[in-house]
Amino acid sequence: MTPILELRDVHTFIGQYHILQGVSFAAPHGAITALLGRNGAGKTTTLKTIMGLTPPRAGEVRFEGRRIDGKRPFEIAALGIGFVPEHRAIFRDLTVEENLKIAERKKGDYARKQDMIFTLFPDLMRLIHLRGTNLSGGQQQMLAIARALVADNRLLLIDEPSEGLAPVVIEGLIGAIRQLAADSTVILVEQNFLVASQLAEHYVIIEEGRSVKSGRMPDLVNDKAAIHRYLGAA
Amino acid sequence: MEQIPALMRKNLVLLLTLAVMLAVFVAAASGMSQQDFVITLLRGLAVGALTFLVASGFSLIFGLLDVLNLAHGTLFMIGAYIGWTVYVRPDTFVDVLTPLTLIISGFTLRDVWILLARRVPPAGARSADLAAAWGRVAPWVAIVPGALIGFGVMRGYPIAFWSLENYAESPVTFSFLAGQGQRVIPAPATFGDASPLIAFAGLMLASMLTAFGITLLGRSDAHTTQVQVTWRSFVPFIGLVIGGLAVFAVNDPLTAWLFALDTNWLFLIAALVAVLSGMGLGALMEMTLIRPLYVRPIYQLMLTLGLSAIGIEMVRAIWGRPEFTMPKPALFAGSGEGCPAESLWLALQHGCSTMIFQGGRIRVYNEIIVPLVGLVVLIAVWLLLKRTRLGMVIRAGVQDREMVEALGINVRRVFTMVFALGVGLAALGGVLAAPSIGLSNTMGESFLLNALIALAIGGLTSYPGAAIGSLLVGMLQQFIIKYGQIGIVIPFTEVVFKPSPPLVPASTILLMVIILLILPNGLLGRKE
Ligand SMILES: Nc1ncnc2c1ncn2[C@@H]1O[C@H](COP(=O)(O)OP(=O)(O)OP(=O)(O)O)[C@@H](O)[C@H]1O
Ligand SMILES: [Mg+2]
Repeated sequence: MTPILELRDVHTFIGQYHILQGVSFAAPHGAITALLGRNGAGKTTTLKTIMGLTPPRAGEVRFEGRRIDGKRPFEIAALGIGFVPEHRAIFRDLTVEENLKIAERKKGDYARKQDMIFTLFPDLMRLIHLRGTNLSGGQQQMLAIARALVADNRLLLIDEPSEGLAPVVIEGLIGAIRQLAADSTVILVEQNFLVASQLAEHYVIIEEGRSVKSGRMPDLVNDKAAIHRYLGAA
Repeated sequence: MEQIPALMRKNLVLLLTLAVMLAVFVAAASGMSQQDFVITLLRGLAVGALTFLVASGFSLIFGLLDVLNLAHGTLFMIGAYIGWTVYVRPDTFVDVLTPLTLIISGFTLRDVWILLARRVPPAGARSADLAAAWGRVAPWVAIVPGALIGFGVMRGYPIAFWSLENYAESPVTFSFLAGQGQRVIPAPATFGDASPLIAFAGLMLASMLTAFGITLLGRSDAHTTQVQVTWRSFVPFIGLVIGGLAVFAVNDPLTAWLFALDTNWLFLIAALVAVLSGMGLGALMEMTLIRPLYVRPIYQLMLTLGLSAIGIEMVRAIWGRPEFTMPKPALFAGSGEGCPAESLWLALQHGCSTMIFQGGRIRVYNEIIVPLVGLVVLIAVWLLLKRTRLGMVIRAGVQDREMVEALGINVRRVFTMVFALGVGLAALGGVLAAPSIGLSNTMGESFLLNALIALAIGGLTSYPGAAIGSLLVGMLQQFIIKYGQIGIVIPFTEVVFKPSPPLVPASTILLMVIILLILPNGLLGRKE
């Protein structure tokens, strides 16, 4: 079976900086793949490259077997990829409901997904008319993930969902991500190795803009040496 | 409920500023008779409304696209001139329609050109260098002949026109006569011996060549976007061509009908045409000139500044230098029986140009209709922003364009729409201002300056801020002008101070400086 997403020797420049210098991996269908690596390794840039926000200069990105590198971000998203960026990027001036509605790609998307979203994040329901500015960090993160669920996305790219959140809130979030992974494939960037290892079945390690190691998560958990070498103290 | 004191504390400076301004306003009001006050107030509202039409579009464009469109005042002026042409010289307007639609027609076949552009063989492809060189030359091989053919055809194309040299046929004369209720119907321009068919074919050819060339210019773009050519791709093209030819076929009756139409309807048509042309011009400007420069903001600024100067020169070349007037529609121009009327209702019934209000005589169009239209636009755009999907996308895009795009929304198209909307609003302002303040090549500049000050006062990207800022600028200017006539008695002295006319712009700038010193982001601007 072809992987849902495949990167082949991707190189990305930001301005004149050569940020990604050869990232290759394949994410299998229906599983969570964690992108790991130190600060500044290039994880966020990898997600943005997939979305077309920082288009690659060389290499291939394939989604469900088709090349998507070179397409514009909105075209890539429309193929069925949802993006939950670093720092959430909630629209502050829009209400929670508008933040969800704006993600509609077909009329009625929101109405159809409402039940699913509020089962997953019951807290959002009572916040529905609040503006984005007034949400707490955890609420913003839930909203950012919920927003990626409104349209029919087969692949979700989630960047550091646990960043800056209290442990209890992270617990809830882990549960939610696990549930939504039942219906779609997830690529997860996560600094917190404990969280990543609980969630993901596969991993890819990125170091200085290169993919250096990948495989099944349980194997990595047992490989203390690799964890120490690539991710620092575990 | 406990939110209210918190809100007050948060906005303490803002509230204090507003309180001080209110006090100044009350003081200013108490220094003049009630008649003067009412008139000054209404005039302030009118200037505020026109300023708002410029400021709101400017701020929408700046908020979403980060483009400071310094050509906005010129586009306001162009709106006035286009409206004037439809209103005073419908024959010219009708004559222009056919060539214009034909010239646009080729550009609607964009998908066809993209497909063709992919087929343009890289000239033998013997070497990569040769292919690259050909890639750079090819667009001009299409654009230059296209432009030449278009130019050649238009030179011979019959369009009823005024004469800048001959006073009897100048725009000034035509508007004067129209204002007297005499519609001079100039001799129609005709093809004579030349064949219209050749002219039409030439224009379409010119249009297609140029459009194809421009597609070649954007080659890299042409490779990534997916296009499909079906019979639907040709529908707009065929529609435009048929429409253009149809207008040509009924040119004479249509012209006669417009000349015979009463001026109220004609004015509405003129305003509509001005707004639509403004929107078209805005969309064209964004797609061709602004878009390639999003990564170079400084060049963009220089470009809009340059465009503003070019626009003024072009208007000068086409319509001539002198200032001229636009007669008011009949509904607001009468002075016969029952005028000046006692109420707005009576004024509209008798078609009075003036009415009595609070003991003073006010001009219905200038002081009532203009502010009313401003209010209607204020509400309409507010509804657009708050209640429609486009508005939601605009509000979101102002904060984070990348995220909007990553949700699957074609932000580039939204940019074009917002630019078109902003320029359309400016054009509406121009055509609305024309009957009250007249036309001149420089009428846009003062309103652009007003709008910039209004936005600095209200907050650069805040829509309510644009409204409040415009209102303040309009009021302040009119009150200073009025006090320039009646003088201010300095308290506890006998001295009467009369602000001189140069103080009018200076006063608004002073207000701006004071407000920016207290509230660096303007009254309603968000803290960066
Ligand atoms: N706009 C930019 N200009 C220059 N360098 C950049 C830019 N954006 C990112 N970088 C650099 O690219 C590298 C990779 O950044 P990226 O954000 O992808 O890292 P990351 O793995 O997501 O890190 P973190 O875990 O801290 O979020 C970093 O060294 C960063 O400094
Ligand atoms: Mg990151």
